[in-house]
Amino acid sequence: MKKSSSRRDFLKLFGFTISSAAIAASCKRPVQNAIPYVIQPPEITPGKSLFYSTSYFDGHEYSSILVKTRDGRPIKIEGNALSLFNKEGTTARVQASVLSLYDDARLKYPTIDNIQASWTSVDDQIIKKLSEINSEAGEIVLLSSTIISPTTIKLINEFGARFNKFRWVQYDAFSYSAILEANLQCFGKSVIPDYHFNNAGFLVSLNADFLGTWISPVHFIPKYTSGRKPENREKGMLRHVHFESGMTLTGSNADKRIKIRPSEEKQILIELYNRIEAGINGSEFTGISGRVNLSELADNLIASRGKSIVVSGTNNVEIQIIVNGINFLLGNYTDCIDLNRHINIAAGIDNKIEELVNDLDSGKVNALLMYNINPLYDYPASDKFLSGLGKAGLTVNMSCSLNETVGKAKYECPVNHYLESWNDAEIIPGQLSLGQPCINPLFDTRSFQDSLLKWSGNMVSWHDYLMANWEKEYFTGSGFSVFSKFWDTSLGKGVFDYNIAEKKTLSINSELLSRIINSSDSVKTDGFEVVIYESVSLGTGMHVNNPWLMELPDPVSRHCWDNVAAISPSDAERLNIITGQLIKIGDNLVLPAFIQPGQAEGTLSVALGYGHTNSGPVGNNIGLNVYPFIEFKGGTRNYGFVTDTLENTNKQSELALTQVHNSMEGRPIVRETVLSKYRNNPSSGNELHEEYESKHRTLYPEVNYDGFHWGLSIDLNACVGCNSCVIACQAENNIPVVGKEEVRKRRIMHWIKIDRYYSDTPDDPKVYFQPLTCQHCDNAPCENVCPVSATNHSSEGLNQMSYNRCIGTKYCINNCPYKVRRFNWFRYTNNKAFDFNTVSDLGKMVLNPDVTVRERGVVEKCSFCVQRIQEKKLQAKLENRTLKDFEIKTACMQACPSGAIVFGNLKDKESKVSQLFENPRSYHLLEELHTLPSVGYLTKVWNDEEIES
Amino acid sequence: MNHYVPLNKVLFLFLILLFSFNSHVRSNDILKSDTVSNIRTVFKAEELIRGERLFYGLVSKDKGTESCASCHNTIVSDELNWNPDAVEISRKYSGKSAGDLSRVLLKPAGEKMAEVHNNFKYSSEDIVLIKAYMDKLAVTGLKQNKPVVTNLFLFIVASIIFLISVTDLIISKKLKRKWIHLLILTGTGIFITNSLVVGALSIGHSPDYEPDQPIKFSHAVHAGQNETDCIYCHSFAHHSKSAGFPSENICMNCHIVVRNGNRSGMFEIAKVVGNYEEKIPIKWIKVYNLQDHVFFSHAQHVEAGGLSCQECHGPVEEMDRIRLNQKLTMGWCIECHRTKNVNFKNNQFYSDYKELADMIRNGKTDSVTVEKIGGTECMKCHY
Repeated sequence: MKKSSSRRDFLKLFGFTISSAAIAASCKRPVQNAIPYVIQPPEITPGKSLFYSTSYFDGHEYSSILVKTRDGRPIKIEGNALSLFNKEGTTARVQASVLSLYDDARLKYPTIDNIQASWTSVDDQIIKKLSEINSEAGEIVLLSSTIISPTTIKLINEFGARFNKFRWVQYDAFSYSAILEANLQCFGKSVIPDYHFNNAGFLVSLNADFLGTWISPVHFIPKYTSGRKPENREKGMLRHVHFESGMTLTGSNADKRIKIRPSEEKQILIELYNRIEAGINGSEFTGISGRVNLSELADNLIASRGKSIVVSGTNNVEIQIIVNGINFLLGNYTDCIDLNRHINIAAGIDNKIEELVNDLDSGKVNALLMYNINPLYDYPASDKFLSGLGKAGLTVNMSCSLNETVGKAKYECPVNHYLESWNDAEIIPGQLSLGQPCINPLFDTRSFQDSLLKWSGNMVSWHDYLMANWEKEYFTGSGFSVFSKFWDTSLGKGVFDYNIAEKKTLSINSELLSRIINSSDSVKTDGFEVVIYESVSLGTGMHVNNPWLMELPDPVSRHCWDNVAAISPSDAERLNIITGQLIKIGDNLVLPAFIQPGQAEGTLSVALGYGHTNSGPVGNNIGLNVYPFIEFKGGTRNYGFVTDTLENTNKQSELALTQVHNSMEGRPIVRETVLSKYRNNPSSGNELHEEYESKHRTLYPEVNYDGFHWGLSIDLNACVGCNSCVIACQAENNIPVVGKEEVRKRRIMHWIKIDRYYSDTPDDPKVYFQPLTCQHCDNAPCENVCPVSATNHSSEGLNQMSYNRCIGTKYCINNCPYKVRRFNWFRYTNNKAFDFNTVSDLGKMVLNPDVTVRERGVVEKCSFCVQRIQEKKLQAKLENRTLKDFEIKTACMQACPSGAIVFGNLKDKESKVSQLFENPRSYHLLEELHTLPSVGYLTKVWNDEEIES
Repeated sequence: MNHYVPLNKVLFLFLILLFSFNSHVRSNDILKSDTVSNIRTVFKAEELIRGERLFYGLVSKDKGTESCASCHNTIVSDELNWNPDAVEISRKYSGKSAGDLSRVLLKPAGEKMAEVHNNFKYSSEDIVLIKAYMDKLAVTGLKQNKPVVTNLFLFIVASIIFLISVTDLIISKKLKRKWIHLLILTGTGIFITNSLVVGALSIGHSPDYEPDQPIKFSHAVHAGQNETDCIYCHSFAHHSKSAGFPSENICMNCHIVVRNGNRSGMFEIAKVVGNYEEKIPIKWIKVYNLQDHVFFSHAQHVEAGGLSCQECHGPVEEMDRIRLNQKLTMGWCIECHRTKNVNFKNNQFYSDYKELADMIRNGKTDSVTVEKIGGTECMKCHY
């Protein structure tokens, strides 16, 4: 029997061989076509990238950017170095915006009553209705996101002037109304000031996550980090004290972080004001001292009078007035806080929106035109808004992408994506930038401004209108003799700066201030105060259908694909709650708990932006929407609420965590020191480096590089952990999104991740961020164990990965001490189970043609952006010259707003990276293993007396 | 080697149909009068057979008159035929009347066609029947070649013999002499192994791949006879990754005037002109197809490396249809990288290689191969 069964096996095998050979022999290679243009546009060269400068503004966030296009397709966003506002930096959301262009959930054509219609019929009906309403003296309202385009503002005013009753209301999903109101009441200017952190020596911030989400992180991060350079002995290093409830990026970077309940903030500020006032007057402070000892803080602030900043991110007018009072008292205005060159990031006044919603509900508004907003998701009383919407005679919605408000108005007039539109922006008075389309509209959409022009009976196109306005407003005084030259130059640079009138002396409304200082609020000491905040990845939630952002882990909690309720370790222990357990907050909010070291006791933090119901396949039904919990109180929307009940449902949900080990276990992974020690000994905290270097012995022959040895230096003192590099890398290197289920299995694919460690004091930890990518070790442990030599070393120091050789043994992953290698468990780009935009033909347009799309079953990892190295080397060859330092920029370096990442040639002793490697702060990760990494880190320097841990 | 897939055929047909309305015989008046009234659409079977016989020249007309099929292919062929094939013409005239065909057939406008069609003496009835057959051809398309005995067939036969022999050797034992089995097994075994090895090694190779292009463009005429520089059409070779295919406006620089080909007559050039006027891009068939994970830059090789086009693409100026000259294997690339020198002394870029520069200065070496500066490493081409 044994014999016959083996014969059968043999026959099976033989049959299989023959049939497979037959299949292999009969299959032909598919015919590939080459289709040239009918008429070649002169600027397009196949195989070469073109960069267009344009402006990103989504209503909440601004950047002047360059868009890399390839064969007419935008594929990557980079910061515009000529911009005074954001320099070369970008944020993760700006980087990810290119994927939203190719989102299948975008609106593709105009509709009337949700039935496809032509633009002509939509226009005819709207024009007719508008004139009807106008002749009956009805009110027409335009409700838009904040608009910072001066030409659009002019257009809106012209449009409004045609009607008897017209109102324009700007609405921000995340409101800065209190700052605007406070500055109006104190100084008579409804503006958000610019904060010059680089000029300050002492910074006190309260609940303001200015490095993560508040106002404009891309603008603040470079200022903050340039103020915190320990090398800068003359000016000194900025010291930062931060008060907050939840653990934010800003709190993580502060030298001293003090946990408070949100209700304590006002009393703290009042006490601080009184202490400073007493200190300046030379008198003793006689008021009541709160829980937190503020005397030292007040002394420090007084000591750095005129060179300090106090900020608060709380949307409460009284708090903002006290903050203004403190800053005024300290003389911080002009040098550190600039009301003159203010930031035009938000213009929504909460009162005006409340008023509008009430008017809508009482049927006073006859026509409502909505642009770039989603009130049915992010307005707290969305039901009231919806019922009011039904009472208006004409409702028009202008949105780019699918959201909860789409389909609720009679007319949908979808607008272009910003990469398809003309625009301009004035983020700071005197700092203008232009926006130009980088691709023709992909769908039957039209810009908002073109719609307004059509409806005002103006036959001019928006592009011509924009040009005419620039000729009228900015051309004179630009120094150019011909307008076309001015226009072309501005368009090429992307920015145009002009001088504005200098400020007058500032005086504060002291009567108002003293009234508020002498008022008092009760501080809650029991129950839970819930803080509702914007997450770094999703912000207000308007880009929720962007899978890159959805899978971008929160920089502190390191979870993605969900919103959670962060709870302090001691509360969790008291209530017997573990991470992932569903907890019931108040009556109807059930969220997974997340034990967050550093969370203030008695507080919970929940992120906005989740819980969408109609935003596309990626964003729908992920997490919960907490906008409805925002209360309108004291003239502003209050981002938090108080609950007395917190119940453990004892049900467990599994979170998508990208890092589960929080401690360095006493190992010198992030090396740190304090400023005083650094001043005495620049290599303090980094003594080990010299020791390991002196023990440098090897049995192997030393690797000798000729020409190039690529290296990367990461300054841990400059890195704030903003995640911008992660998305930049993802966009550049065609890195797939794997989805919640796979992230839970630790299969996230990011080539660069920002590891976050806590010191071993869970109640009040210090937080460390460490961007981690392939270390390109000269003595790479991964290379030795690959059975097929798919990973090996190049003569330029690169740890090469050859996908076609890789057979997926994953030995390299196991042997890599840094755990930076990723395995393709699936064919993510073509597998319908991972439909995260790049599976469709539309989504594939975002792929970088210079980087291979990896197959299933192969290992991948950071390549030091070898495609960029090769491109620039070739360019130097073609131009018959040597490579310049900083000519090659990896995607992470390019995107980093703080300049923490520097890439270059280690063989060139003059290069910046070589000098940084010689810096006494420089060390290598796990250098005791003698892997000889090509990535160096610079020690973290705290501006604190001592390291508490 | 004909590598058309059905989709391509459809697109090709579509192109020709579109462009047929724009050809040199366009005359709206004639089209109107003829198409409306005089087109016969119903033919008897005998009439169709007579049309076919006329087309193939089986009905004796005058001696010396060439049959249609002698110039216009009716069967798929690997050979390059400068004349449009029968189906191509049939499809071009499928919407037109026999009168139109007769006008072009008997009084051609082009020189080349006039020469060949010189003493054609078809009656108008003949032409109606020929047209009837052509309308049938337009639907059925070209006949395929008869299958030939391929290696695959021999492979299957050898495998069966091998199998029978093994079965007999182990189980049935009909043949008592074992050496016969061994002989058969050795013979077929060698053949099978050889076929498998050769087959496996050539997976993905298409040696001498020479597909019919949508337009019978001749490099021999353009680059050879007329000595047009390669860069005139493939203008990005010096500064971009891809050399680029010429856009139709480049073709029209010359073909705005040149409308008559020596061998192809007006038919092929009319396609370019037609496509240009209708703004339809030409779908050329790519012959040099590198795998997606290979990054090859023309600028690197042509401009920085100073290679001539022929070094990789062969004597293109002698080819009518472009033919794949290489196997495009990695071995072929590496071989060149191991032997060819870089322009070390004259290009400033290489001065960063300090040690090699010293060696050259000291006379220790006089040239640097691509390999010496890392030209055979994985991530020079694969990333």
